[in-house]
Order: sequence, then structure tokens, then C-alpha cells
Amino acid sequence: MNMLQRHRRLTEIWSSEPGARGLFSTVNHTDLGRMFLAVSFFFFLVGGVLAMLIRAQLATPHSAFAGPEIYNQIFTMHGTIMMFLFAIPTFEGLAMYLLPKMLGTRDLAFPRLSAYGFWCYVFGGTMLLVSMVLGIAPDGGWFMYPPLTGPIYSPGINTDFWLIGITFVEISAIAAAVEITVSILKYRAPGMSLDKMPIFAWYALVTALMILTGFPPLILGSILLELERAFGLPFFQAEFGGDSLLWQHLFWLFGHPEVYIIFLPAAGVISTILPVMCRTTLLGYGWIVASATGLAFLSFGIWVHHMFTTGIPHMGLAFFSAASTLVAVPTGVQLFAWIGTMWKGRPSLRMPMLHLLGFFFTFVIGGLTGVMVAVVPFDWQAHDTAFITAHLHYVLFGGFVFPILAGLYYWMPHVSGRARFFRLGELAFALVFIGFHVTFLAMHWVGLLGQRRRISTYLPEDGWTTVNLISSIGSFVLAIGIAMVIVDLVLHAFTARRSRRDPWQAGTLEWAMMTPPPAYNFASLPHVDSRQPLADDPGLTLRLARGEGYLSEPERGWRESLTVEVATGKPDFHIIYPTNTRLPILMAAVTGVFFVSLLLKFYWTVPLAVVGVTILAWRWAWSLGRTTDLPPRSIGRGLTLPNATQVSRSPSWWGSALLLTANATFFGSLLFGFAFLWTVAPSWPPPAWLTSSAPELALGLIGAGLGVVAIRRAARANRKGQDARPWLGLTFVAALGVGAAAGGVVLRAPTPGDHAYGATLLVLGSYALFHAVLAALMAAFLTARVVRGFTSPSRQAEFPVVTLWVDYLAGASTLILVVAHLPGLLA
Amino acid sequence: MRDILRILVAPLVWLASFSAVYGLHGLICGHGIGGSAFGLVSVPRLLMGGAYGLAVLLQVGLILALHAARFSSPSPFVRFVSRATAWVGLIAAVWTLLPTLVTTYCL
Repeated sequence: MNMLQRHRRLTEIWSSEPGARGLFSTVNHTDLGRMFLAVSFFFFLVGGVLAMLIRAQLATPHSAFAGPEIYNQIFTMHGTIMMFLFAIPTFEGLAMYLLPKMLGTRDLAFPRLSAYGFWCYVFGGTMLLVSMVLGIAPDGGWFMYPPLTGPIYSPGINTDFWLIGITFVEISAIAAAVEITVSILKYRAPGMSLDKMPIFAWYALVTALMILTGFPPLILGSILLELERAFGLPFFQAEFGGDSLLWQHLFWLFGHPEVYIIFLPAAGVISTILPVMCRTTLLGYGWIVASATGLAFLSFGIWVHHMFTTGIPHMGLAFFSAASTLVAVPTGVQLFAWIGTMWKGRPSLRMPMLHLLGFFFTFVIGGLTGVMVAVVPFDWQAHDTAFITAHLHYVLFGGFVFPILAGLYYWMPHVSGRARFFRLGELAFALVFIGFHVTFLAMHWVGLLGQRRRISTYLPEDGWTTVNLISSIGSFVLAIGIAMVIVDLVLHAFTARRSRRDPWQAGTLEWAMMTPPPAYNFASLPHVDSRQPLADDPGLTLRLARGEGYLSEPERGWRESLTVEVATGKPDFHIIYPTNTRLPILMAAVTGVFFVSLLLKFYWTVPLAVVGVTILAWRWAWSLGRTTDLPPRSIGRGLTLPNATQVSRSPSWWGSALLLTANATFFGSLLFGFAFLWTVAPSWPPPAWLTSSAPELALGLIGAGLGVVAIRRAARANRKGQDARPWLGLTFVAALGVGAAAGGVVLRAPTPGDHAYGATLLVLGSYALFHAVLAALMAAFLTARVVRGFTSPSRQAEFPVVTLWVDYLAGASTLILVVAHLPGLLA
Repeated sequence: MRDILRILVAPLVWLASFSAVYGLHGLICGHGIGGSAFGLVSVPRLLMGGAYGLAVLLQVGLILALHAARFSSPSPFVRFVSRATAWVGLIAAVWTLLPTLVTTYCL
């Protein structure tokens, strides 16, 4: 097969359907990455227009531009859109587009999951946009504090749009995080050990792990607040044993790591682009990896610094103040590594570099004001003023938007295959930079003069008029700059001349292909021996196109790739991907029916949507695997690999393990909430404890233990070629037993509407019940797979996946049953 | 996967210790735990200081383990990064939990 024949054959196998149909059925990471980025930038523009409305309102005192009700919606939606619908999805889109190319593989780990996440994002984001168009958008601020957002003070549907819409969108973030983590750990080019991974992959890995552990507390908080609003379960009402501070804890457990979830991918972009712009290599690769990891963990220990004015004891304040100041150290290490990179290289002031310099100047100021507000006495003075708004914009615009604009200019030739022709970008950068600093330096100033954040108007005698006018003028200059960036990029995409391959002389693998990239990325997969494979081996691109790498001969029309051992990069399994399908968009739509039903209180359609999602998920999983054993596949260069369905640690196992990590964080947050209310909230102890039931407790505990044993015996029977069905049946029965015990907690929880104790038991019981049903469904599914011949002594990959879920059920339900029954027993 | 764990373990233990000490602080203040131990030091201070010491000791143990041939990674890169993050864990434990010794606890 020559180069052209290989290209045609691979294109036929990997490309999406032609025309608009392809948009709905594509599972290709390049398509989905581009779609994610296009939609996220659309939301960026919407958020930007809302920012202009805010500045128009505040430009003069006594402004009649918008009334307080509409103004509240405007600033809430501005923050919500920028945080949830622009920043995070931009990371997801960028990672989806770039990672397989940088890692030297053909696609992400779970292509259909990428598509499902994308459509959940589109549908969830659309829900929020619709609310805005209808004038019923969320209006409680982007962090939605109760009691303001509780049923008493916000009785309308506005808050529900936020709680339900954001939870829907977060499915997308969790899906992407699982996808990205498994892809980085397992889907790399042979030879790419951890020390040879591109630095962007390290940052993306750290960020994805942070999403998995950072988002669940917010999902929990949103569910609890929605339960309070819809069904009167008083989690946040002090007179019924709840506490509004619980929301703040759950929100900021997510919200502070969120800042780093936004910053770290941008830092990955900087670490990738800066050495290329400076014609050198990155200084302190290992230090940067350690700093990013340290920063990620530290960011989870500083959430209370958003709550310094809530009356927390001094020692608590001091813990979080100390942790907040410590964050400056790993951030500083990265900044100095970048400065050192510039020092040792020969910086060239090309377009991406301008935005990187914009980043340095802006982010350092944001970081310094961050250290200021980490100091408690200063924070008490500045809390909830425009100073804080200005600080967060310096951090987020400086730490995310500037690097992303640098990334756009850097990778645009990759996406479009064209070189920049017009020079609008330089002028646009100047306007963005000047406009930004005029706007937000003035905002620092007016904040220190005492202007509260989120006020809809002010009086002339407050003395803020001139500063606000300057800030508003600056914001419009900034908006003109952003508009020029867009014009520049559109002109580039449609009119610029063809670019040569690797126009920046970069060393990473995404440039070792033709541009725009083909659907299959690499005609054959590279073997990686260094961190800069393309710089160290300039002939690599041509050799890969000639088929001198791995998997160069397409077999049976399969979309093929391979996985590697996590640490060493040694090839371990052969992968066959699913092809184009509309299943993800269909499942996202049915998931949307579930959320819209909750929003509109059409509760009769909720079970229909749940059944719909279950059927589609069943079909999704059913279409994987094979009914015959596959012989080991020869992948070239003298290597053969077993298929991933024939190993115990398949990609699905990794995906499940990571999903359960997020799930465990959710559960841990729920237990934290229970302990917090018990310890801190007024009106405790509750009027009555759950009456303990020994038979119920025994049923649950025996069921949990039995499930753990039975699923292992089933796996063992399968390995030995024996009948696994009896053991799977026992697993099913065990899960039902756990479900019955959990159902007992749900049904007997004492008056959930009257006290947070009963309400929390109801949620804990429901959580166990849900997982019991899930485990039972999985056992039934696996039984059906055994019956239909999808398993054999070698095709064993599905057993460990179900084992993970059954084990999780056992652990979580045991804890829940003990927590639920123990107080009653002791009483 | 062991290499990833080596890199993550020390900061993860710091995060767990930090949360546990903050939780202990909540319990002491929430349940009004007081009194004096051995007539020398208050019970809350003793508990908080003990937790602080334990958290620091754990981190020291992790650093020693990650420097020992038995537990350290065969990869020089992972060895370096895991030891660097172990130092992050130790410094974070010493610095962020220092208030247990020096500030009032329930005011």
C-alpha cells in the first residue's frame, strides 16, 4: 500500500458522514474538539455582550439602562456563562482536539462519550440561553447563595434553570474528564513514558483529575438545593436543622479548585507555546510537573478563603489563610520556569508571544492581589467589593483568556492549514490589553473606594462616577479588541494562503501530520524516544505517512489504535473503536428530557426519561465487544498485542474506576454535609432518630458482602470456562437485597420535610438504592452477555468492570446503613 | 499506575490531614470540648497539636519512604517528581496546620 492508497483507505474508515449529517453522528475527536471550541467561543461572545451591558449600566449614576431585576439576571448569566459555558468547555475542546495528536494516537479513549458530553453541553447551555431570552434567567449571582436562592426568597423558576441547567452541563465536564484521564494514561504512542509526555498532557491530566474531584460537591449542592426548592427538604434552612453555610462549603469546595481548573490548562498552553516562541526547550519540566500537581492539591485546601466574613473561628480562618498564601509558591515556580525559558532562548515577538506577554503582566498583578485577599484583615475590608471582581478578572482573563488567545493564534494554522496573512491581530492585541487594564485597574480603585459588587446603580455623591465611566470606556475598547480578534481569525480561516507544515518549527507530535489534520491523525503511529520527537527527528512526519510506524495496514475496516503501560509507554493492548453513530446525541436528548421534566415539574415524564436513558445505555454497552475470540494483532515492527476485550484492565475498567472516583467524591461530600449539619447547624439533635431495624440492617450488610463474593466467583467461573450465570444471578439478588435495605431507610426516614436529618437520610438511602439498582442492572446485562456468547475464558474484560461497581455498592451502602441505623441503635 | 500514585500520595495525605484537622476543629468547637490535660495544656490544644504532629510525621514518613530504594520509582523522572511533591506535602502540612499551635480555637 503506498502513501496515497493508505491515506484514502484510512480516510474512508475514520471520516465522519458527509455534510450536516456528520455533525450529529461524528465521534471523531478532531470534529468534536472543533465543535466544542466553536460553541464555547459563541458563549464567550454572549458572556461578553452581557459584560458590556453591565458596564453600560454602571457607566453613570442613577442609570436607567436596566432595572434591578434584569440587571441581576445579566450579571448572574455573565458569570455563569463565562465559568461554566466558556472556560471549562474551552479546555475540553482544546484537550479533545489536541491530545490524541500530541500523544501520537488516533483518537481519545471513548469517542462516543466525547460526543455525548458535547451534546449535553449544547443542550444544557441552550436551556440557560432560553431562560435568558424569556427573561426568566437565574438572578442569584453565579454562586447562588441560599437563603437568597431558596424557595422563600426566590420562588420563581429562575434559580431552577441554574441548578438544573448547570448540573446537565456538568455531565459534559465529568465525561470529558474521564475521557481525558484515560486517554493520557493509556492512549499514547509506544515509547512515550511519563517523562516524555508533552507538558500540555501533564497539565490536562492534572486538570481532568481536578474536575473529577472538584465538580461533584457542586453537583451535590445543586441537587440538595433543588430538592429543597421542589420538595421542601430543608438542607439550608436553619430553623429546620439545615444551614445555609453548607451551600457555601459545597460550592467553594468546587469553586476554588475551579479557578485552577481554568488556569492550569492555560498554563499548559503557555508551557507548550513559550519554548517554541523562544526557540528553545522548556526549562524545569520536572519542576513544572511537580508544581502543577502541588498547586492542584493546594487548591482543594483553600475553599474557606471565600468565606472569611461568615463568622468562622480564628483558627479556621488561619488554616485557610496560610494555605492561600502557600499557593503562591508553586505558581511562582512555574512563572520563574517560564521566565527562565525566555532567558535561555531567543524570544521572537510573533503573534502568540504578544498574548503570552499580556498573560505575564496581567496574571502577576492578579496573583499579587490574590495574596492580598488571602490575608484575613484585608479580606474583611475588601470582601464583596468591586476590588474582588477586579481581582478575579485579572486572574481569569490574565490566566486564561490571554493564553487561550495565544493558543488560538498558535494552533490556527493547524486547524485551517493556512498561514496568517492579515495583520489585524497586533492591533487587536493592543486594544484588548489596554482596554482590559483600563477597565479592571479602575475597578480595583472603585472597589477600594467602597463600591459593592453587583449593585445596579449608585449615587453621584458616592464619588464613583468618574472611575466607573473610565472603567466602562475601557470595557468597550476591550470589546472592540475582541471583535477584531474574531474578524482576524475569520479572515484567516477563509482567505489566508496555505501554510507550510509545522510553521512554528515546533517539536511536538501534533505538527507531524498534514494540516488541516486528517480524520485518522497519523497514517501509522510513531515510536517516541524523546520529549520533542519532531525536533529530534525532522524526517518523522514523512516516515509516518509512508507507513513506517505502528498499525500502518488497516484491517477489516476497523478504527484501530493501541494502548500503552502507564509508566513505561510499552504497548499493551490493541483497540478497536466504535464508528459514527447518532446514539450519543439521542442519549443526550433523552437526558435533556429528564432535566427539562424536573425543571418544568412534569414529574410523570421523569421515569420515562430514566427508562429511555437506561435502554440507550444498554444498547450503547451492548454494541461493544465480540462473540468470537480475536487472535493477537500484529501492529508492525515485530510486535503483536491482545485485544482490549481480552484483558482484565480494559479501557472500560479505567473509565469506570475514574467515574467511581468522582462518584466517591460526591458521596464523601454528602457524608461531609451530614457531619457538618450534625456538628454546626442549629436545631440538632432532631426530634426523632431513624428507628433501627436489625433485619433491615442485616439484609443490607449480608447483601453487600454476598455481592462482593458472588461477582468474583462469577469472574472466576468465566475464566475457567464454567457457567458464570448462577453467580451472576446471586449478584443480582444480593444487589436487590441491598436495594431493599436502602429502600427501608428511604421509606422510614423521619419526616424529611420537617428536619434536615430526615432529609439527609432520604438522600443517603436514595443514593444506596440507586447504586443497588445500577448493580442489579449490570449483573443482568452481564448475564445476557454470557448467554449471547460475548464472554469466554479469554474475553473477560466485562467482569472486572461490574466487579468495580458491585464493590463500590458494597462499600457505600455499608457506610450508609451504619450511618442511618447507628444513632437509633445507640439511642 | 504506581508511579502516578507515588507522585500523588504526599499531597493527597496532606489534603486528608488538613481536612481531618479542620474537621476536628469543628468537632471541638461544635461540641464545646474543653478542660485541661495534666494541668498543663487545654484538651483542645492537645488534640489539635497532636493532630498537627501526626500530620507532619506522616509527611516525614512519606519523604523517607520515597527516598528508600524499596518504594521509590525505577524511573529517575518519577523519582524526582514524587520527591518534589513529597516536599510540597511536608511544607504544606507544617505551614497550613501551624495555627493549631498559635491561635485561639473557637473565637
